Amino acid sequence: MKIKMPRFKLAGQLALITGLTMGVGAAVVQGYFGVQPPVGEGVCLVTHPSNLVNWIANNLFGTNFTIHGIFVAVPTLLPVGVIIGSIIAAIIHKEFKFRRGPVRDNLLAFIFGFLVINFGLLWGSCPIRTAVLSSYGMVFAMVILVVIVAGVIAASEYIKWKVRRMR
Amino acid sequence: MIGIITLISGLILGYMGQRSRFCTISGIRDFYLVRDVYRLKGLIGVIIGGIIGFSIVNVAGGDLPGFPLLAEGLKIEPWVLIPLSVMGAFGMAYFSVMAEGCPFRQHVIAGEGRMSGILYLTGLVAGVIFFDIVIVPYLQLATLLG
Repeated sequence: MKIKMPRFKLAGQLALITGLTMGVGAAVVQGYFGVQPPVGEGVCLVTHPSNLVNWIANNLFGTNFTIHGIFVAVPTLLPVGVIIGSIIAAIIHKEFKFRRGPVRDNLLAFIFGFLVINFGLLWGSCPIRTAVLSSYGMVFAMVILVVIVAGVIAASEYIKWKVRRMR
Repeated sequence: MIGIITLISGLILGYMGQRSRFCTISGIRDFYLVRDVYRLKGLIGVIIGGIIGFSIVNVAGGDLPGFPLLAEGLKIEPWVLIPLSVMGAFGMAYFSVMAEGCPFRQHVIAGEGRMSGILYLTGLVAGVIFFDIVIVPYLQLATLLG
């Protein structure tokens, strides 16, 4: 009798593996490498870039912008690492190329970056850190995760409405 | 040490993010619009990975103050920060859909050489400075009044 094994293709689960790595990595860097306070600070693409920008501004121009305690002496290099890691992966797999998009209007892309970081800093986390904080047991982060889903649904509905109107 | 740790973490996650097309916002959007769960699994993976990671690190004696925070409930002080946080999260999600990706994804596509990703990051840097100069004083005032 032949036993049928469930099919599990690794290539189809890369996003899941990346997510798992982020979650476990956030716990490890906080618990063992002291990337805190605040808690759950291991992976965040809102607070890390803002801490890095503020650190550079403070050291170059003598400003007094807020930096999380852990990054006062040495800046976080997570955003730089993500960009370099992406460049390496894109070059290795022959996908690196200067090109337009995905947002077609360059000014809009700039404005979206400006708006997202300002709204993100009001809450104080990116969606990844919100998920990490939820797994840390922070009830308010769980509420915010629901708010993020609501925001995505609202934007998706706007896009659907816009597409319908264009037809 | 912190600089090296964050750099190495970033390199690994940037590489994995480019190969997997990981994006939290697109995960929710794809599922809502076309019932595609590929990217949504990434967001679910962060939560599951976090629960597993924090639990193991906690048992193994890692430094996780207050873990798990469940007992604290909605302990946010001052209360005036709650509507601001909700507004911030909603706006971040809404405009991330318009920008076709979460902040992590934008860093990755900037690394791929996409012009809108590079300009998004330029806007992000300008936004941080704007937040420091214009928004932070109002937040401090709201905190004092709250």
